[in-house]
Amino acid sequence: MTDHPNPTEDDLQMIAEQVWSSFLDPAGIYPLLPALPGDPVPSDVSAAVSVTGAWQGHVVINLTETASRHAAAALLGIELGEVTVADITDAVGELANIIGGNVKSLLPQPSVLSLPQVVTNAASTYWPAVVEVCQLTGVWIDEPVNVSVLESNVDYAGVSSS
Amino acid sequence: MKILIADDSRVMRQIVTRTLRQAGYEGHDLVEAADGREAFDATVNHRPDLVLSDWNMPEMTGVEVLRQLRASGNKVPFGFVTSEGTPEMRKAAEEAGALFLITKPFTADEFRSALDPILG
Repeated sequence: MTDHPNPTEDDLQMIAEQVWSSFLDPAGIYPLLPALPGDPVPSDVSAAVSVTGAWQGHVVINLTETASRHAAAALLGIELGEVTVADITDAVGELANIIGGNVKSLLPQPSVLSLPQVVTNAASTYWPAVVEVCQLTGVWIDEPVNVSVLESNVDYAGVSSS
Repeated sequence: MKILIADDSRVMRQIVTRTLRQAGYEGHDLVEAADGREAFDATVNHRPDLVLSDWNMPEMTGVEVLRQLRASGNKVPFGFVTSEGTPEMRKAAEEAGALFLITKPFTADEFRSALDPILG
């Protein structure tokens, strides 16, 4: 693990606001709202990008199936009923890429961002050997949305450093 | 003019296409590429007037595409549309010959600022 200022929930909030205002809610009708205590963390659709190099870890976005369908419709500019599973996979993966790329800009360099990995129909997701740096949980169109930054606590040799 | 849009995400290619329209650049001939190798081949074969490329793509990264194009003598105006905008990447993009680097998420105004000198 590295010694540096970590990204914070405020950083994630700022990045999310830019993503929503540019792509998901350009008309300002359906903003990402703060979650209420006890709101669940969704896991139907999860997308992650990994960062390797001077900082190691993952940036993960978790959505419900409904929220992921809304995201694909908004990004593609199509009706909800037209959205396919391929659209959802592409859209949520791209959201992870955008958010992850912006988070990476806050991390020590040099580092490399992976292509996104997307899991659909997941009952839950588990990331081994990580610690949560920060997370943002919100509500979008009455659906929970979660973004997490997870730092690896395993060094290159596979030995836990914590 | 002919514009090549290179991004492994079909969703992002759609967003770039829509943003070009919102920025006022209508009526251009758009060509798409879904990875770095396709982007290089499409640039050679279609001879676009401008390439808008993602950075992080399968097969070849966007900067590898640009470096290979320049190494082969191709001078096509080339800009990045990418989620990453670190100073290191901006420096690498400029050194490779890119005209601009637009970070995602972007707006039509940002497209106009970057593209007006080329398409305006």
